[in-house]
Amino acid sequence: MKSDLLLIVPILLPILTGLLTGFFRPLGKPRLLRPFFVLSLFLNLALVIAISLMPEMRLALFSLAQHMPVLFKADDPALFFCLLTSVMFLFAGIYGCEYMKHEGGESRFYMFFLIVLGMLMGFGLSGNLITVYIFFEIMTLFSVPLVMHSMKKEAITAGFKFLYYSIAGAALAFVAILFLFTLGIPLEFTPGGVLNAVNVAGSERQILTVTLLAIIGFSAKAGMFPLHAWLPDAHPVAPAPASAILSGIITKAGVFAVLRFVFYLIGADFIRGSWVQTVWLSLALFTVATGALLALREPVLKRRIAYSSISQVSYIMFGLATLTARGLTGALLHTVFHSIMKHALFFAAGAIVMVTKRTEAAELRGIGKQMPATMWSFAVLAISVAGIPLSSGFVSKWYIATGALSAEIGFFAWLGPAILLFSALLSTAYLLSIAIDALYDPEQRNAPGIRDPGMLMRAPIILFAAAAIILGVIPGFLISFFETIAIAVT
Amino acid sequence: MRVAQSLIAAAVFWPMLAAAAGYAIGKKSRRARDAFVFCACVIALLLSMSLSLWHSDAKLGLVGIGGVQLQFMLDGFRTILVCAAVFLWIVTTLFSPEYFSGKQSPERYWLFNMMTLGAVTGFFYSADFFTAFIFFEITSLTSYTMVAHEGNPVALRAAETYLAVAIIGGLSILMGMLLLWQRMGTLAFALLYDACTAMPDKSALYLPGSLMLVGFGAKAGLFPLHIWLPKAHPVAPAPASALLSGILTKTGVFGVALVSCYLFPADEKWSVTLLAFAAITMLLGAVLAVFSNDLKRTLACSSVSQIGFIVIGVAMQGLLGDHNGIAVRGTVLHIVNHSLVKLVLFIAAGVIYRNRHELALDKLRGYGRGKPLLCFVFLMGALALGGLPFWSGYISKTLLHESIVEGIHIFAGFPLAIFLHALEIAFIVTGGLTVAYMLRLCITLFVEKGDAEEKSKPYVSRRSAVTLVITATLLPFFGILTGLTDTLADSGSGFFNGYAVYQAVAYFAWVNLKGVIISFAIGIAVYILIIRGLLIRHRNDGAIIRIVEWPGWLDMEDLLYRPLLRGLVLSAADLVRIVSSLPDMLARGLISSATLLASAASLPDRSAQAILHYSHPPEKEPNITNRFSVGLILVGLGICASLIYVLIHAL
Repeated sequence: MKSDLLLIVPILLPILTGLLTGFFRPLGKPRLLRPFFVLSLFLNLALVIAISLMPEMRLALFSLAQHMPVLFKADDPALFFCLLTSVMFLFAGIYGCEYMKHEGGESRFYMFFLIVLGMLMGFGLSGNLITVYIFFEIMTLFSVPLVMHSMKKEAITAGFKFLYYSIAGAALAFVAILFLFTLGIPLEFTPGGVLNAVNVAGSERQILTVTLLAIIGFSAKAGMFPLHAWLPDAHPVAPAPASAILSGIITKAGVFAVLRFVFYLIGADFIRGSWVQTVWLSLALFTVATGALLALREPVLKRRIAYSSISQVSYIMFGLATLTARGLTGALLHTVFHSIMKHALFFAAGAIVMVTKRTEAAELRGIGKQMPATMWSFAVLAISVAGIPLSSGFVSKWYIATGALSAEIGFFAWLGPAILLFSALLSTAYLLSIAIDALYDPEQRNAPGIRDPGMLMRAPIILFAAAAIILGVIPGFLISFFETIAIAVT
Repeated sequence: MRVAQSLIAAAVFWPMLAAAAGYAIGKKSRRARDAFVFCACVIALLLSMSLSLWHSDAKLGLVGIGGVQLQFMLDGFRTILVCAAVFLWIVTTLFSPEYFSGKQSPERYWLFNMMTLGAVTGFFYSADFFTAFIFFEITSLTSYTMVAHEGNPVALRAAETYLAVAIIGGLSILMGMLLLWQRMGTLAFALLYDACTAMPDKSALYLPGSLMLVGFGAKAGLFPLHIWLPKAHPVAPAPASALLSGILTKTGVFGVALVSCYLFPADEKWSVTLLAFAAITMLLGAVLAVFSNDLKRTLACSSVSQIGFIVIGVAMQGLLGDHNGIAVRGTVLHIVNHSLVKLVLFIAAGVIYRNRHELALDKLRGYGRGKPLLCFVFLMGALALGGLPFWSGYISKTLLHESIVEGIHIFAGFPLAIFLHALEIAFIVTGGLTVAYMLRLCITLFVEKGDAEEKSKPYVSRRSAVTLVITATLLPFFGILTGLTDTLADSGSGFFNGYAVYQAVAYFAWVNLKGVIISFAIGIAVYILIIRGLLIRHRNDGAIIRIVEWPGWLDMEDLLYRPLLRGLVLSAADLVRIVSSLPDMLARGLISSATLLASAASLPDRSAQAILHYSHPPEKEPNITNRFSVGLILVGLGICASLIYVLIHAL
């Protein structure tokens, strides 16, 4: 019991250090502030790694109501989410140390950045639906200042839009929570679900309906249609490290909530073959196509990457919606890979915008000569987003597509892969073309001062671009880890 | 066995390693890099040769790469292809330093060039569609950089087309593979072959098969996806053009052969369809070449046409079933011949371009006069391509022709025989057109007098000259030693499940010579009547007034593909934009009305304002820093405090 209290530390630590960066005056000097910030990110990662090495822990704090405790549990998916989040926050933080110098408002940014990390840790480690809901909501609140950081008009508008959509989504999910609670169904996450013939008797249809509500509600964070409209506004206006986190991790929080809800509460068997699955599949596929098509018509680089996120995160949703072990494995793989790719793409976009002061994709012709490291990484990442073989995007796409083909979902079995491939094709047109124009167009705009950003910004970009390939060549350990998760719940 | 496996791995991955090493060396010294790349290619040749000599049926599975398993296997045909590829690489590597001299050091070109070699090797050695697809896609991307190398607008546009076709084709293959996997449960060639031959009704395979054909056919330059080829090959640097035409089109052909031989062995419907596309490709390529006024474009169009010949061979071997020995032989030999011919011709074109910086035929008139070496090399290529007896092209074309004739005999009395008759006529006519466009090239370069004539200036380095002459000499060599080529070709028949050729082919019998004579007659007639008569207008003193080229508006890319793709994508984008903005509009509407209600009920100012931010963005930057952030911080503090309280309590 006592050692299980360790589970709270990764939640509290970033919040405390975050508050320190914000309010402890002596830390205000940049020379102290940045090392302290990075150090706390490191510490957090170390803690998560330590927890993942220990036997599975479980910690029930206090009860909000009867049978409704705040519960933390370090099972496989929880550890996966926390590890991913800590690693991504660490690199985004390192990148941010240099980026925020130019953006200003450092201590405020670092504070909210750390607090969001703490909330995400709590979210990831949650052991039941109530806890997930609480952290989900608070995390939304604390990520709004990240979106609004620049305090420009469009940033504030976008921040509010983000807030409203998230709260609306969470409200939908809340309906589901209340409903399940009134049925007396225990809301603790159990692989394969907690529903059985006894506790659902007579209310199958209502449960299906609230399941769909929860899926749509939680998917608001993941940018799935119909609650997706905030994403292309909110992601691009944030400072680059925050955009990266929003696209790379916070969308995954939506995915993770859906994963917990469907596979650990409702159970895949309950909705397999039902109309809920059909609606879910259609929404996901529609979003995949929509995101890609809108990205193609979007001239502003960061917004284009945000649209690409809409499309790519719905790949994951589609993988989940197939309700097969293979599809789920692919979805989890894509969660990792997309997180890496989107982080690096937003890092690169941030670097480009910061150095060149150009925001439109069409203005980047020929800058590859001056920013070779950034643009070559961009090219590699674009290749990975398109899912060209031996890049990581291919592996996850392969698993999702074969999962769909082996699922009993009627015409979605082939329509799904076809749409995934269509969106991959479009992604070459909207991302790879930028890199190609930048690298191969001989038109040299000899604007002075355009060069690769400093080491702290360059290293995460190059590292992630390399990871996008390396994990595509040797994804074996990830695949086997996710397969054990997937097989346990389907 | 372990030796064989490491040899396969080395053959595939060595060039890729060498690519990286070459890049590093090239940063230091150009000469060292050139030497290193040459040695790397020679090592690659040694690797593939030793494999073919001592381990000709080795297999290799690399678990865990790319999510599944990379599987490689060897057989005669694959070995021939790999050896041909490496040979072409060696020759182009010898010529490249001269071609690139005087320009900026082409580091990027070499990096991707060597990676292409590794990927091509991996593709040819692949033992399942998964592996094949992975390496196929790598070749697409790396060869893109060869096309785009020059970086001028024409090259970039051609490269863009190439990439688009390659990526659409690649996705088409992937979709086909996925469907195939769903229907057959495997992608390994050996298992697929057994499963497919056991299948009485192949209708479930036609969709995946066709999707894969689209992808591989696009790379091969098969009609109607040949559009990129006549644009992309000419704009690449000459050594790269040789590789593109000589080897990279063959990757497409190999893919088509994979689908035909493993999924549809002896399937009539499939073979006839393929035959029809191949015939159109063959004829159309030759017509385009006749109309071309650009040296490298002529050669590229000729590649389209020759790929048509080769695919006819692939289709015929499927159609003829257990009589396919001759067709197989013809296919294998024509692949090798075409690679060599295009190698020689494109490098010769590179020599010309390096001296004149010009490819338009009317500006190159008489350039080759007084240059016996260039003339010899070019003539060897032209004669081999035209199919004159005692040159290599004659042998393979005769074999392909024989296989069509055999088909006519076998299917005599069926409607198919009429189709095959038409095919035979098209075959001979295309042979004639081949003669015509090569005649046009030769006469323009070496006979006509023009302002491009220049003498007493060294135009080619000794090293390139020796390489070229040796390579060119191979062409008549292969045309005369028919016993050797027969053995070579038969070693490749295992791949096609080829049956033995029942009787020795009498290459120089009257029946076969007759075909050549007809072809040459047609060729000369076309040259005199159409090319000299219609396409090129001369003034009395011999100067050219006007040249008719293939009309621009007939270009299928600009006429059909680009507008179609653009229109479809843009209209789809507009449609989804409307649909996807509906929820947002709904939300705005709801919030606006809620705000109205709220103000009517005179809610506290602040919440109404906050809501208003969303429905009506404020005109002025509001000072919300204090209100909003501080509120959040308080919430954070509260949570912390309560968690700490709980912690203490629990302890």
